[in-house]
Amino acid sequence: MSFINAVVAFVELEARRIRYNITEVITRVVQPILWLVVFGPIMASVRALPTDGIPYIAFITPGVILQSVTFVSIFYGLTIVWERESGILKKLLTTPVPRIAIVLGRSSASVIRAFMQFMIITPIALLIGVRIVPNPLDIMFVIIIITITSVGFSAFSIWIATFMKTRERFMGIGQAITMPLFFASNSIYPINIMPPIFKAISLGNPLTYSIDALRKTLIIGTLDGLITDIVALIIFTTIFTLLASIQFRRLIE
Amino acid sequence: MADIAVSTRGLVKIYSNTVKALDGVSINVNHGEIFAVLGPNGAGKTTLMRILTTQLRPTSGEAYVLGYNVVSDGDKVRRFIGYVPQEFSVWTDLSGYENLLIYAKIYGVPRHEINERINEVLRFMDLSDASKRLVRTYSGGMIRRLEIATALLIEPEILFLDEPTIGLDPAARKMVWDKLTALNKELGLTIFFNSHYMDEVEMYADRLVILNKGKVVVEGAADELKRSVGGEVVELTVDDMSKTVHRVNEMNSLGIRDVNIDNDRGIVRVIVDNAEEALPVIITTLRDAGVRIIKASISRPTLDDVFLKYVGGKISEEGRLQEVRTLRSVIKKG
Ligand SMILES: Nc1ncnc2c1ncn2[C@@H]1O[C@H](COP(=O)(O)OP(=O)(O)OP(=O)(O)O)[C@@H](O)[C@H]1O
Ligand SMILES: [Mg+2]
Repeated sequence: MSFINAVVAFVELEARRIRYNITEVITRVVQPILWLVVFGPIMASVRALPTDGIPYIAFITPGVILQSVTFVSIFYGLTIVWERESGILKKLLTTPVPRIAIVLGRSSASVIRAFMQFMIITPIALLIGVRIVPNPLDIMFVIIIITITSVGFSAFSIWIATFMKTRERFMGIGQAITMPLFFASNSIYPINIMPPIFKAISLGNPLTYSIDALRKTLIIGTLDGLITDIVALIIFTTIFTLLASIQFRRLIE
Repeated sequence: MADIAVSTRGLVKIYSNTVKALDGVSINVNHGEIFAVLGPNGAGKTTLMRILTTQLRPTSGEAYVLGYNVVSDGDKVRRFIGYVPQEFSVWTDLSGYENLLIYAKIYGVPRHEINERINEVLRFMDLSDASKRLVRTYSGGMIRRLEIATALLIEPEILFLDEPTIGLDPAARKMVWDKLTALNKELGLTIFFNSHYMDEVEMYADRLVILNKGKVVVEGAADELKRSVGGEVVELTVDDMSKTVHRVNEMNSLGIRDVNIDNDRGIVRVIVDNAEEALPVIITTLRDAGVRIIKASISRPTLDDVFLKYVGGKISEEGRLQEVRTLRSVIKKG
């Protein structure tokens, strides 16, 4: 009970902070919007990629949304690094809250940012002609997929923060990770046209499963094979939440 | 609950980079007292406090807070302590009220009590008027008071404060200490604080230890420690020095330890146990004997003298203070 209260409190904290920092939210949707309105139409006009009959812009929409979700989640670890440099983390560790509630609470908080991205990018996609599936069951899965992805990647980033303890180093690693994650996935091209080695890498990339799941529910409207994606995401999220909780103390040693 | 609020036995902390921050520290803090750990930069004050607040594990030795072992019963310890770190523990992009609200929820204060509790600590810390403003706009002293307010939310038994007034101007320091002494007197809260300000420790601490290079140099009440350095001194400028010495030597009821003439300064020095009590009697006696007193003053040993005697050197270091102040203002700007 108190565990859940603490997790909710961390989410509330993030929601309150966002209210005062709206410009940050806006600047973070610029890049995904460029993918949709510039890159998308150009690639679509080339008709170079087999997308199983899905219009190209619709094909990349889930990838663009999730790229932006993972981006905000991964950089969420920066908040933790910052709180390490200030005394906030030290203080949190002296409260009765269990460590895992801190990790889970902080990573759940990034869900708020993730949905802000989703709520801005999706209407823009609709505006430029992407058709999404308006089925409540599918929408429910969309919410679940975005939530797990966001919690998983921010737990991953908190785990990174436990050994990249300065902001500079963390920024470096964050930047080094986000783009390759995006390109080594099925975000802007189908996985089966990739050379075998990249195919293998993509299959080890959790983002691939998120995108596949979101493409099925948001664009195609099928639940076939969704279970594999979701199980993969849950495994990823659980592993990194546990790793981050175990290593959390290292942050302030 | 035990009478001892905090006790440690032979605490040693060696960091992973092989720095030995604590080298066998044993202390005892009683319930309801204001206890200070005084020491220069790098003495190990913060390390000690972080072990007591269950953030770090000692390399060896034992530590108990309210009778609970800080390693094996850490979760129990955390339920009864408030802690204000040396650096900074509030979110500057939220208002003061919101900071308290979030901390209250994290601490698990019952929902129906939250608002009342927050208003109570705000009032106590004189922050009610500023509670709706972003913390970014607060002064250093207000931020420290807000941090103390957050630590009070769970109504702790012990408050741990790591350099509570570092970087504050004298007026803000006094304000913080007025609040802290009120907490101690009115609620009987035990306060454990680190400091490198002699005057603050002298003025507010019931008892203290001086820590240097990870070792306790000396422990006791400030008065006791100062007396251990030597007695208090009454300094007299008079028209007849030898008569003065003679007369004072004849007075034996006053705890007079020694009388001597300081020829360099042309004064008579009377070393006594308690200068304030001795001074009026000495003046009356000398006046009756026809000695004309031109000037009389009292000098007492300070904690600086204590430190000088036991360690050799001064505690305060201005350069470092500047450093910390800069750090705090950087953090504040976020
Ligand atoms: N996390 C850490 N890792 C390694 N060494 C540390 C760590 N924290 C402190 N030290 C070292 O341990 C020693 C004691 O540091 P500590 O911070 O406890 O001293 P302090 O008395 O609080 O000093 P200050 O007055 O500067 O706050 C110092 O030599 C410091 O460099
Ligand atoms: Mg310190």
